[in-house]
Amino acid sequence: MKVIEINKLNKIYNESEVKVHAVNNVTFDIEEGEFTAIVGPSGSGKTTLLNMIGGLDIPTSGEVMVGGSLMSSLKGADLTDFRLHNIGFVFQAYNLIPVLSAKENTEFVMRLQGKSKKVCDARTKELLKAVGLGERMNARPAKLSGGQQQRVAVARALASKPKFVLADEPTANLDSKSTETLLDIMEKLNREENITFIFSTHDARVVKKARRVITLEDGKILSDVRKNGGE
Amino acid sequence: MKDLISIAWRNIWRNKRRTAITIASIFFAVFFALIMRSMQLGTYGHMIDQSIEKFSGYLQVQNPEYFDDPSLDNYLDYSGELIQTIQQTEGISIAVPRIEAFVLASSGHQSKGVMVTGIDPVQELQVSNPEHLLVKYRLTPEIVTKIMHETTFDKKQIELLKFNETGLYHNLDRLALDLGLKPEDFEKYHPVFETHASYSGQYLKPDDDGVLVSSRLANYLQVDVGDSIILMGQGKFGATAAGIFPVKGLVKILSPDLDNKLVYMALPLAQDFLNMPNNLTCLVMNLTNNDQLIEVQKRLTSNLDPNKFVVKNWKEINPILEQQIQSDNKSGQMFLGILYFIIFFGIIGTVLMMIAERKREFGVMVAIGMRKSKLILILVIEMLFIGIIGTALGMMAVAPLVYYYNFHPYRFTGEMAKMYEDMGMDALMPAAGFDAYFAWQALIILLMVFLACYIPLRRIRKMKVMNALRA
Ligand SMILES: Nc1ncnc2c1ncn2[C@@H]1O[C@H](COP(=O)(O)OP(=O)(O)OP(=O)(O)O)[C@@H](O)[C@H]1O
Ligand SMILES: [Mg+2]
Repeated sequence: MKVIEINKLNKIYNESEVKVHAVNNVTFDIEEGEFTAIVGPSGSGKTTLLNMIGGLDIPTSGEVMVGGSLMSSLKGADLTDFRLHNIGFVFQAYNLIPVLSAKENTEFVMRLQGKSKKVCDARTKELLKAVGLGERMNARPAKLSGGQQQRVAVARALASKPKFVLADEPTANLDSKSTETLLDIMEKLNREENITFIFSTHDARVVKKARRVITLEDGKILSDVRKNGGE
Repeated sequence: MKDLISIAWRNIWRNKRRTAITIASIFFAVFFALIMRSMQLGTYGHMIDQSIEKFSGYLQVQNPEYFDDPSLDNYLDYSGELIQTIQQTEGISIAVPRIEAFVLASSGHQSKGVMVTGIDPVQELQVSNPEHLLVKYRLTPEIVTKIMHETTFDKKQIELLKFNETGLYHNLDRLALDLGLKPEDFEKYHPVFETHASYSGQYLKPDDDGVLVSSRLANYLQVDVGDSIILMGQGKFGATAAGIFPVKGLVKILSPDLDNKLVYMALPLAQDFLNMPNNLTCLVMNLTNNDQLIEVQKRLTSNLDPNKFVVKNWKEINPILEQQIQSDNKSGQMFLGILYFIIFFGIIGTVLMMIAERKREFGVMVAIGMRKSKLILILVIEMLFIGIIGTALGMMAVAPLVYYYNFHPYRFTGEMAKMYEDMGMDALMPAAGFDAYFAWQALIILLMVFLACYIPLRRIRKMKVMNALRA
């Protein structure tokens, strides 16, 4: 089942003198439960593409359908609420709210959704254990390593059981061991909870774990490869 | 909501120093504003107390015509019925009868227009208390010479003694103050002053046939206790009023204007002199609670026959004092306005810095699904916390001072004391008690916080998540 449909998507920045065609006529679909990496050199348009899928950025032209909704038809608070209920985000770094503990950060999205304390509690504990932070639940982000922080961010993105998780270079600031741990966790959760993952990276080790790899260059799709075991 | 409050509370302690500085600036603003307000309002209260409570009264009952045409023809009947009505009206602490008439006074070659004030000598003790104003001690150049012979004053004290060689005093304390004497020195010279500077005025008896003359007027007419003055004028219905009256005492009235023109007379004598038996020009009243001025005025008005009586409040009787207070009040409020204006920009600065520092964090929060309105709410709560803490601390710091100086007014000494007395006031500065102005400061700070939040928070409204995330 197609859950994300991208059709002739373009993003042109012309803030400066030179126009930058950051995303150039991109068309592809994502099936439910896919574990997709978007790769490409720096400046190839990965972040721009992910942000348009997540409704954080507005395309110059083209369509993005997410879970059957046309993103360009949503505005303001409606768009925010759509993200709240459908999409989990993991950013490159500084994902967490500094004044909240690991546990509070993890349940933040669920609390925004109005879930009860009890439901939040159970789910948060389960997830933090799953990402190996059962012991550090009450630590604030400043007391956690970069890898631990990213694991909390993944836990938060998944906590509310969203339909999709979008992660923009989640491992960019991590050493190889932490990268591997995070990827394993993401993959495990992707399997167990059947959540669709799309993440960008230019790290070959990360690409290895993906079951589908979309390669961008200068805003265009260079290749789109599904590996065995995908779908 | 609980989550938001908790986040806001933790956020304000992220940058402890900045929060402390912002709180401190609000604290000082509130502290000084309250101190200043309290002193100002206390001073107004004191001014009103001095010139209203101690002379014209908070309320007066008059003949309806009298206010526009203060002639004796527009008199008031001093009836038992009137007294009873006043006594039955709630909120009036005292009502004393008065006759005020303008006549010509002369003695020797001098003459001058004066205000004869007929009073009930006993009841009047509770209002203008002329007995308290009697001149008890006096210096003259001859007395000064005698005192100089009998004391061992130093050069500066002799200078002051000469400077005050025509001084009149209600008591020895003020005399000592004017001469710059220390209390221990004063003990020593006490007998000298008693022998040479005592002045023998007498207060009026209820059926007295003499008068009390205000000190500046006495000086102008060159009369002393034991002399007589001639008063001439018109009584009620154009009757000739003329008489010669022994001076029983001098009263030194703090207000220079009154001190130039006042002659006190017992009520029966005044009624006889002015051909108005059983009549008054007004009844002067004070209140049990001065905040209820208008209520009591209305209440009494409705209890009295409007054809015969009108009730005026002090603001109507003494519009100049009211104007003085209001203009001083305006300038005080303006000063506060400036003070708050400065603080206001401090708060805006804090909000702007908070937003700039946390731009990326805000971006993340909105990206993962927090509505901007909630984000704004968090910031407003943060600023409210800061505002409330600063205000509360300021109030707590001021409270003991206000409490103390309300009950123990600050008494000026030295030059400041003289200045006050020359303006016709006791040299006191009481603080106003806890009152609406406390609530006003809190309200102003609250309003400022909201206003200060408004401009920066519009930025959040307009914030593009994308740009925030890139920050
Ligand atoms: N706000 C912007 N204004 C102008 N140009 C922009 C803006 N954002 C991105 N670009 C340009 O668009 C192109 C794509 O940027 P993007 O951030 O999507 O690349 P990326 O693949 O994520 O790169 P990286 O791997 O370095 O994160 C780049 O050339 C970039 O300079
Ligand atoms: Mg990028």
